[in-house]
Amino acid sequence: MGQYVVRRLLQTLGMLLLLSILLFALVNLAPGGPLAGYGQSRHILPDRAEILKRQFGLDKPLTVQYLIWLVGNDWMRVDANGDGIIDGYGTRRGILRGDFGFSFRTRQPVLVEIRQRLWNTIYLMSVTLLVALGIAIPIGIISAARQYSLFDIVVTTFSFAGQAVPDFWLGLILILIFYGWLINPFTGEPLLPSGGMYSLESQLVVLDRIKHLILPVTTGALGWIAWYSRFMRSSMLDVIHQDYLRTARAKGANQRIVLFHHALRNALIPLVTLFALDLPYIFGGSVFIETIFAWPGMGRLYYQAATQRDYPLLIAILIIGAGLMILSNLLADLLYAYLDPRIRYS
Amino acid sequence: MCSASMNQTPIPTPQEALRSSPVALLPSNPGRAAMIWRRFRKHPGAIAGLLVLCLLILAVVLVDFSPYDGNASNMNELLLPPSWQHPMGTDALGRDLLTRVLLGGRVSLTVGLIVVVISLGIGVSVGALAGFSSGRVDGFLMRITDMFLSLPSFMVLILISAILREVEAPFFEKNNILTIGLVIGLLGWMTFARLVRAVFLILREMDYITASRCLGASGLTIVTSHILPNAIGPIIVESTLELGYAIIEESGLSFLGFGIQPPTPSWGNLLSSAQDHFIAYPWLAIFPGLMIFLTIISVNYIGDGLRDAFDPYKVLTKVGNV
Amino acid sequence: MSRKTLLRGLIMVCLLGILVFTLTSCQTAEKTEQTQSPQPVITDTKAPSPSSITILIAEDPPSFNAMISDTGYDALVMELAMLGLTDIDPQGNIIPELAAELPSQENGGVILDEENGTMSVTWKMRNDVHWADGKPVTADDVIFTWNAIKNPDTGSWIPGIESIDSVDKVDDYSFTVQYNTIYPGYLMQFGGEQLVIWPAHYCNADQGFAAWDCGRKPLSDGPYILEEWEAGDHMTFVRNPTYYQAPKPNIDQVIVRTVPDASVRKTMIIKGDADVIMWTTEPIVHDLENEANVKISFSPQNRWVMRLFFNTAAKGTVDSAATPHPILSDVRVRQAIRLAIDVDTISKNIWFGYSKPVWTEFFRYPYACDIPRTLYDPQAATKLLEEAGWTDQNGDGVRECHGCKSAEEGYPMEMELITYSEYGEPLVLTQQLIGEMLGKVGMKLTLTVVEGSVLWADSASGGIEQTGNFDIDLYDDGYGGVDPTDFIWSYYSADAATPDYGWNVGRWMNEDFNSLLNEAYTLDEAHRKEVFCQMAKILDQEVPMLLMFSTINAEAYSARLEGVQSTVNDLVTWNVADWKIK
Repeated sequence: MGQYVVRRLLQTLGMLLLLSILLFALVNLAPGGPLAGYGQSRHILPDRAEILKRQFGLDKPLTVQYLIWLVGNDWMRVDANGDGIIDGYGTRRGILRGDFGFSFRTRQPVLVEIRQRLWNTIYLMSVTLLVALGIAIPIGIISAARQYSLFDIVVTTFSFAGQAVPDFWLGLILILIFYGWLINPFTGEPLLPSGGMYSLESQLVVLDRIKHLILPVTTGALGWIAWYSRFMRSSMLDVIHQDYLRTARAKGANQRIVLFHHALRNALIPLVTLFALDLPYIFGGSVFIETIFAWPGMGRLYYQAATQRDYPLLIAILIIGAGLMILSNLLADLLYAYLDPRIRYS
Repeated sequence: MCSASMNQTPIPTPQEALRSSPVALLPSNPGRAAMIWRRFRKHPGAIAGLLVLCLLILAVVLVDFSPYDGNASNMNELLLPPSWQHPMGTDALGRDLLTRVLLGGRVSLTVGLIVVVISLGIGVSVGALAGFSSGRVDGFLMRITDMFLSLPSFMVLILISAILREVEAPFFEKNNILTIGLVIGLLGWMTFARLVRAVFLILREMDYITASRCLGASGLTIVTSHILPNAIGPIIVESTLELGYAIIEESGLSFLGFGIQPPTPSWGNLLSSAQDHFIAYPWLAIFPGLMIFLTIISVNYIGDGLRDAFDPYKVLTKVGNV
Repeated sequence: MSRKTLLRGLIMVCLLGILVFTLTSCQTAEKTEQTQSPQPVITDTKAPSPSSITILIAEDPPSFNAMISDTGYDALVMELAMLGLTDIDPQGNIIPELAAELPSQENGGVILDEENGTMSVTWKMRNDVHWADGKPVTADDVIFTWNAIKNPDTGSWIPGIESIDSVDKVDDYSFTVQYNTIYPGYLMQFGGEQLVIWPAHYCNADQGFAAWDCGRKPLSDGPYILEEWEAGDHMTFVRNPTYYQAPKPNIDQVIVRTVPDASVRKTMIIKGDADVIMWTTEPIVHDLENEANVKISFSPQNRWVMRLFFNTAAKGTVDSAATPHPILSDVRVRQAIRLAIDVDTISKNIWFGYSKPVWTEFFRYPYACDIPRTLYDPQAATKLLEEAGWTDQNGDGVRECHGCKSAEEGYPMEMELITYSEYGEPLVLTQQLIGEMLGKVGMKLTLTVVEGSVLWADSASGGIEQTGNFDIDLYDDGYGGVDPTDFIWSYYSADAATPDYGWNVGRWMNEDFNSLLNEAYTLDEAHRKEVFCQMAKILDQEVPMLLMFSTINAEAYSARLEGVQSTVNDLVTWNVADWKIK
């Protein structure tokens, strides 16, 4: 097993390297550049563009740019002030040593930019995921236990509907209802805020935070509830009809115990692995939810970086995202193996 | 957005799948189509979905007969609420929203079809090749599939749609619909590949396949006349789901401004232009999204019905879906 | 460890995690950057509770150094904390800030060397301005700032940087700038919307102008001191007790909040949760006009003019002489397009009537030229098109070339109208209307919307404008400050038509215009204006670019505030020290 893990980790590194080349090429070959519409003016003057290009390292050929991004240029002799005379070493250390570069727009190190937004996204997405699981699992279990009952039919229909609703539309509709139409009977203001993480002036901090969380979490959780409840139900159904449960029941065990003790444990196994696969979303967030609800998070950061062609930031988010996805795949596989003794990797 | 796990359910081994099925699969036979249709008919949700989808397609095809021009502005009818003359109201330039929504439906459905065709093409080829060959080829193809699967797909979608949009080749001619479809399809074929491969892995162990081989049938014959007909079921089911996925991805991209550009309406960019004033004029946001919802839910129900119709004992269709 | 325990453990951990997250999120000062600027502790014993206002902005400023990223949000907060040598008032007059007086030829501050075509400007600074830590603002700070700017690796570009030979200290409060050319914009050399003077003893020259920490934790010499900055959310400023215009500022505390959603900003100001909305757009102004507790300040001048750029070279080429555009190279066609667009209808229906028609580049003080406006006249447009050889002989509503200037017989009058997506709905709707209006006079336009980062990129990056891959380009632009010379050069001069060298992407070449432009580099203001107005006449005749209307520049502010004045030459906080709460 240990050998397997090591092998997978090495493969991960290899894949990330390959991906980094792919993504670097993609980002740079896409039409458009970071200097277009830089700042307020639509067209920056050529002298200014010259300087910016040099400072951003865009005047070098792509392969050199990739190399510098990967391993830095502090071991290279560079011509710092463009006068043709080599006069020192560069300042970049490269991604392999943890230097992700600086954002073109803010000149701040990329990791600082990410750190400023990461927390907000983790906050929102983990609440969303937990709410989704907290609702989906019980619903799925009850639905499976009472198959074909009214509850089951309602839940199944709901999960079809939930997977069909686009979350950007749902967000708008929820804002329309809870912010546009419904009024708080006590204060005469809109029932729920239409965006942001919290209000500066609010006295009741926890209540205020919850109010700001309700709409984005509902929007995000609905799709997941639909999906997970459906999966939970089917997984539960599979297990319920297995032979060993029949044995337990024949032995006279209490129905409840049979359900929760034996069935649930086994039904949850695939769910846990699926959950592991969704972990990268806690990092990446949802562009739609963050845009509609004005949530300052990773999704919007990525969207901004993409439209402004802020290459270092863009590539960093992509690489970290890809890395997390690969790792979460590995985690899912490992969990599955750990939890289900029938499966073994060599 | 579709969760990552929706594309990667654990795949049972061929032995497991066979163990849980009481009935062996039959080689293709002519009465099968009728049997499938009969089973499909028993599914009320699927029939309803089929009906809705057909109505939608009809409306989308017939929108040319609308009395309104989806693109011409009308300064006297700006932002009107729904009425008999304008069942969905008008937008900020006075254009009839129903007409634009149906035109948008044309675009969205076309993109969806293109995506399905492309991801089917790539996915089935890759999956069939991987499932039928062994060892090296299989491993290599699966590595590639894994690499694509580990891309944060929506992020990459945004990037690629920027590149291909500006391609000046005569084939594309800046035809947004084609390029968007191509782009989404390029990132959506992995589910097909894994599904088809798993199906092939299961099916090629079956007795009648071994029998055919003993009788001297070539690989190609086996694939086309024995395996593929049985694989068609899960493939078709997955295609319907892929259609739903494609429509949502395209709408999402257009909503963000990366997909279909105005003035060509698409459900996504109709929602995006509604953002400025949807609180005061809610119909601008309600109807385009409603159409997306109705389409996807119909398609999902159809997919569900097809799944039951092709494979009532859930031998093969368990491999990729719930 | 059994499976059950593992699962239970997992669930426990998750629940615990979310509990921890929610609890820690209750502390709002999670990511606060506290400023390090040492300030003398002066307790204000007069007022019982500090007066405070809130300004709403759409995006977090990247830093306080507006020269680096020029987003506008940085300039807004920069105006709160720092000072430049000069500034511009809303009318367009230059006012001294750190400068004691404006140097001119009359008072000996400006010395012209006509023979060599160079000049030098000697500035005298005020001696009563101090940094918040007590040290005086001196010429050393100016020299320090200049050296940091001109560092090619870590510095920045500023207007005039190529024209300056050296900046030399004369004494503690004066310095001389030596130019290598006649530079008319000298008064704004170290001031204006984007540039301020940075403290030599506080900023770290090694970190460089573009990235130094004092750009995010500034040392103030302006009316306010940055007290805290919670990134992505808000900044709090308190009055600077050492401000040289004491007892100003009148307001004790200014909070700048980042609220990306326009309708939320609108709601906040209506409810009274905010006092100023920076850069209020037309639809919001329209909604707020009738609110009793909200007032609107309009800028007396406007900057951003919506315009159509005609490509006089064939699409995809960059040489208008070798490969002229089949349709647009004929000046009559361009004039006809001007006649065919009803600017007033567009303004009324899409811009809520707030946009003002503009038909010449020289419409702003002090170079406003008297050019008669060409009014909407579709019949005249039709006549002109027919004259130019474009008639519709096959009855399909689209004209073809029959005896026209640069196209083959039968060439259809079809073109692509391109615009950019980042502006938003109003621009896209404007593009639609223009397409329709031109359709009515027989031109078929396909409408395309692209990202700004692709439209304005350089040719190596596939920039649409630089590669000439367009027919008609719709966008807004306008020059900052009062001097249009650089702007005019980059759009209309022959040199600027070379790809990546300038922005004359319409490739319009006019010798008379070029020689006039060269004459504009003079300090003789009267002569300058004359030259500009002659250039205006040429532009009006030739229509290389069709100017249509200017978009709004306004700020909504709460009725309890006094003194707020919107300006196109700076940000609304330009006079924040003068604001009063009623």
